Amino acid sequence: MNNQSRPTNRAILLLLGLLLPATIALTSARADDSAMATTRQFVDQALHILGDKQTPTAQRQQQLRQLLEPRFDFKEMSRSTLGYHWKTLSAQQRDDFADVFKNFIEAAYLNKINSYAGQQVQFDREASLGTGYAQVFTKIVQAGKAPIPVNYLLEQTPSGWKVYDVTVDNISIIANYRNQFNRILNDQGFDQLVADLKAKQQQLSLTS
Amino acid sequence: MLKKNRVARYTAFAGAFALILAIAPAWADDQGGPPHPPGENTQVYSDPLAPFNEKMFTFNLKLDHYILHPVAQGYADIAPVSVRESVGRFFNNINFIPRMANNLFQLHFPEAGGELARFGINTTIGIGGVFDPADKWFGLQQHDNDMGLTLGHYGVPSGYYLVLPFLGPGTIRDDVGMAADGAMWPLSYFVPWYIYIPAGAGKTIIQAVNYRSLHLDLFEQVDRYAVDLYGAVQDGYMQRRANELETVNQY
Repeated sequence: MNNQSRPTNRAILLLLGLLLPATIALTSARADDSAMATTRQFVDQALHILGDKQTPTAQRQQQLRQLLEPRFDFKEMSRSTLGYHWKTLSAQQRDDFADVFKNFIEAAYLNKINSYAGQQVQFDREASLGTGYAQVFTKIVQAGKAPIPVNYLLEQTPSGWKVYDVTVDNISIIANYRNQFNRILNDQGFDQLVADLKAKQQQLSLTS
Repeated sequence: MLKKNRVARYTAFAGAFALILAIAPAWADDQGGPPHPPGENTQVYSDPLAPFNEKMFTFNLKLDHYILHPVAQGYADIAPVSVRESVGRFFNNINFIPRMANNLFQLHFPEAGGELARFGINTTIGIGGVFDPADKWFGLQQHDNDMGLTLGHYGVPSGYYLVLPFLGPGTIRDDVGMAADGAMWPLSYFVPWYIYIPAGAGKTIIQAVNYRSLHLDLFEQVDRYAVDLYGAVQDGYMQRRANELETVNQY
């Protein structure tokens, strides 16, 4: 009886041995596709670049730009910040605005990287916002200070999950810009908005 | 004298209440355009009081720049953070009445009871509210609330955005709420007006200086990322209040 069971056991072990790595590979491949995993990946890499104070600032800014550009949907953010004004703009104006807005956001956030003081990011959970959309809940934690909730809203695109809004302390950054841009557009028009964004970007690049 | 005072206050309150009911809500939804992804915040605000608000906003910025910030900076230079945090907790503790009352008005009884318990514990064991043992030792967390949120809880729209001198951004609903919460200050029922008005003003000023001293780069942070500072502050206020209303509705 023992003799008979041995080959069976061995066969099962062999089968398991073959299957286990395969299932692990499969599940981890699937996990890598989630909005949470995507966010975790670029946030971890960004923290690594931020903490690497040996490398010159300009080089790290370039690394961050390369890291974040494929993960942030600036076109979608541009559409969203312009609200109902978007449909009044020509294709050329939309493209111009998307460029100016992206440059402004990069200037505002990338010039600030040397103020990074070892803050860590805690990943809390992910919630579906419907097919192809998800929200990832994180917190920025720093010793002796209250954690700051930062949430990412992502959409699934052919090239993976992309961020279309970020909330800080539950305040939507894109909605905040929408209100600012709406005021400028209503009072002064599109050209002034582009000029204001360029001026602000210039100012941010000088002061860093 | 006391009674007359109170009647006048209630009349003013009721009048203001009727005013809010009569005016339109402050936000209008985005119209048309491509479909929005779920979770996208699409709100823009109608701001008919903008000409007045912008003047008051500029006034408040100057007030902050020339008086509040320098005073807070000088105070921060002599008083360590721990002292200023204790001062903040002291005022936070004595301001428990509107928190408790509004939790009660919204029928959030555990939260209202919690505020009373927190006041009792922090005033005694917490040495006049300077420390917060109610949270640290008893796990009693603070449940913020105010009259603006109570009105919102019962469906009163926020009304137009309104920036007031000294008091800063608000909406008509929230400013009425703030006046009502202020009327709950017990001192005003026990001492004559020429004592409680200066005392109340003094308390408000000390609180403001203390708060600013703990947030010295508050405007600098907002201004850095803003293209239109007024619009950034306005939206920040509206989003924050909407979040707070959502929070108290979940108590």
